[in-house]
Amino acid sequence: MNEFVVALGWFGLFAPVALGAIGSAWGCALGGSAAIGAMLDSDGGYGRFIGVSLMPSSQVIYGIVIMFSLQQPTIDAANGAALFGIGLLSGVTMLFTGIRQGEVLASAIHASKAKPEIFGISLAPAAVLEGFSVFALVFALVLSGSIPA
Amino acid sequence: MSGPHQYIALVSSLPNLGKLFSRKGVPISGFRLKQRLSMLEPAHASLLREMVEVTAWAGVAGFDRDIDVIRRANKVLADLQAYPDLQHLLGARMETRTLIAALRRRRDGQENAADIENWGMGRWCAQIKANWSDPAFGLGHFMPWVGEAHRLMQAGDHIAMERLVLTQVFDQLGHYGNLHEFDFEAVAIYVLRWVIVERWSRYDEADARARLATLVAAALAGQTEDGKTNGGRQAGRQDLFSDFTSALEGAPS
Repeated sequence: MNEFVVALGWFGLFAPVALGAIGSAWGCALGGSAAIGAMLDSDGGYGRFIGVSLMPSSQVIYGIVIMFSLQQPTIDAANGAALFGIGLLSGVTMLFTGIRQGEVLASAIHASKAKPEIFGISLAPAAVLEGFSVFALVFALVLSGSIPA
Repeated sequence: MSGPHQYIALVSSLPNLGKLFSRKGVPISGFRLKQRLSMLEPAHASLLREMVEVTAWAGVAGFDRDIDVIRRANKVLADLQAYPDLQHLLGARMETRTLIAALRRRRDGQENAADIENWGMGRWCAQIKANWSDPAFGLGHFMPWVGEAHRLMQAGDHIAMERLVLTQVFDQLGHYGNLHEFDFEAVAIYVLRWVIVERWSRYDEADARARLATLVAAALAGQTEDGKTNGGRQAGRQDLFSDFTSALEGAPS
């Protein structure tokens, strides 16, 4: 049983990075596809399209920060379950927000191409999703302080 | 690039068409549009071609009889089984066309719609048959444009009629377009809307009136010059999405 909990602990420790990386990759691919398409139809402003399409890359960075905050000298039955719970759930949050952020960025790029003046405001939904990722990051850091070493 | 990402890039590469009648030209040329559509999956490209063939007048003009158009439309509807919104859209488009055909036939003196199965399709066939003498075929309460189209047709205001019909079809496409953003349906709806914008952009009111006068004069004089003119235009109209033959110029209904 202990070995299983230890295995879960390692799983939870790396989950924020792995799931965050998947979310970032997926989100950047969605946003990047829209940016590439938009560049075909624009005479300028390529940088801003590409720039916003990279917004979902923050999820993997948050995942790395969470992983380091969860890291323990030893992973055992006492802390394995906590690492699993915090790591897995924060990782799922990064995965989901990364993908959804990519989707809203694709919509924002598409819409602002037709109406450039809404470029800034069209990024608001993506910023809100970023906020949810930050919530997950911050509270994962807070909880990591109460994990028994 | 594949799957959904391919369609995100494709849809994002298509310029906004704006409102109908709001601009003189099209925001993207037929050549460029075809280039962009090369990103479509081969199966989707084939489906889109079929849809354009039965919805655009340039495609319909290739059929000799209305019943052939109906058969073709039914086949395309079956092919679109995986895309219910496109099926509904195509069905609605054929129903609109049926209503216009009915208005035109009634204007031309047809006394009833007994043979509607041969030239019409969709939900309104029975209604049209039962209410042949009603200006809007009994559909005016929820499709007010039918009554308006009847009035314009009787008045001989073909340009206003054309405008009304295009607006109706454009809005229909817009309704379904709101349901899709980055998928094949979105691309198909964009192309169908582009066809309408392109058609209107080529529609020069003065030129249309002059051409109509020429055709009437030629018909009265028993000449065949109009046939030559039409033939010449059709020959130059090999583009897949070109569709600027007026719905009111006598193409199959």
